[in-house]
Amino acid sequence: MLPHLDAAYRFARWLCRPPSDADDIVQEAFLRAFRAFEGLRGGDVKAWLLTIVRNCHASALEQQRRRATVPLPDDYEAEGSPSPESVSAADEERRALRRLVAALPEEHREVLVLREMEDMSYREIASVTQVPIGTVMSRLARARAALRGNWLKDAAGEPSAVR
Amino acid sequence: MQCAEALRVQAYFDGEVDAVSALEVERHAEHCAECRSLLEHLADTRLRLRRDLEFPSAPSALRTSIGRLLDEETGQVAPGVAAPGVAAPAVAAPAVAAPSVAARARRRPRWRLRPLWLAGLGGVGAVFAAALALLIAAPWATNAVLDELVSAHVRSLMPDHLTDVVSTDRHTVKPWFAGHVDVSPVVADFADQGYRLLGGRADYFEHQRVAAVVYQHGAHFINVFAWAAAGRPLPQYTTRSGYHIACWRLGNLQYCAVSDTGWDELQGLTRLLRAAGSADTPQ
Repeated sequence: MLPHLDAAYRFARWLCRPPSDADDIVQEAFLRAFRAFEGLRGGDVKAWLLTIVRNCHASALEQQRRRATVPLPDDYEAEGSPSPESVSAADEERRALRRLVAALPEEHREVLVLREMEDMSYREIASVTQVPIGTVMSRLARARAALRGNWLKDAAGEPSAVR
Repeated sequence: MQCAEALRVQAYFDGEVDAVSALEVERHAEHCAECRSLLEHLADTRLRLRRDLEFPSAPSALRTSIGRLLDEETGQVAPGVAAPGVAAPAVAAPAVAAPSVAARARRRPRWRLRPLWLAGLGGVGAVFAAALALLIAAPWATNAVLDELVSAHVRSLMPDHLTDVVSTDRHTVKPWFAGHVDVSPVVADFADQGYRLLGGRADYFEHQRVAAVVYQHGAHFINVFAWAAAGRPLPQYTTRSGYHIACWRLGNLQYCAVSDTGWDELQGLTRLLRAAGSADTPQ
């Protein structure tokens, strides 16, 4: 078992568009982590690893942008769309929630994911995202408010999506 | 439009505030409908996210390919530095890799090497952390008194724990100590200088009853502990878990002031108490 691999993978899935890029990012991150390991001085290994994942994602994005060949796909549900018959209302709700989180701006999405899914403290999130704690707090508040606002809108706009 | 306390309410929800702030937030939410509904929304959002979103594990193909990648990586490195674990302090080394083990591991299937990496990332990190903590904090690392001081300070901030005798009058507080603790510390009210005397409390640590005089400065509480001086001297100024601690001796008493105020504020009170103490104490 590689430590924190699942956390690194989950985080990468939320960062990457499309999520299938997560595999490459995580692989790259573990390689970098492995090479840089001797440079690690104390601290939280999980936060350190997720910081590397985030950096790998940023540099991959930068490369894509420079080559400007790959348009960023907006469809996060591309892979594994189930056949229409098998979609229950609860499934539909889950997919809607996932789409809403994925649609948040990246700087909001990452703090939300680290706080709610990885259960990290403000301090740890600040170290992963490399911003002050105050910024973490305000981004988190905006992310939560936006998510809530969007799903209320979503529920009102698409009555078919909820049972 | 949004309540000014919203960020603090969020921090409270996320478990990021101390006991005093938590109490304040709870009191505030009793009166502020907006913050009450914010708390509900926060809980609702968390529930939905944690319940409805999938938490995928890394696919086994990814796991395998990373394992292979790291094997190759290890193979490239000279035997002496085969694994990062080798560079770690002696504690980790025996558990991890003598060069020969690493050399064998390279020819073996991946699972043989995984523990290396695991021990590397998990164990060595911990060892580094421990070593670093020791290096930085060495002079006081073993000084449990400082930890006890911070614990006592934090405990005092729990609801209804701050003072046993509530008074802004030193002539009430000081005699109260006579019946409740083993020492008679300096007690004075410095309200004019911004340090209001709130009262006194008896605490117990270092195997003795300790006097705690409580002051308020702005929104902050300062506990000034006093007990019969014995053993090693404490550092004059230090910080534990984010709380500043100032220690000094006066006569045969050890004083320690603990608070989350800034250094300047804490030192201000320290100076006043020392001055008052030297004027008071004949020794």
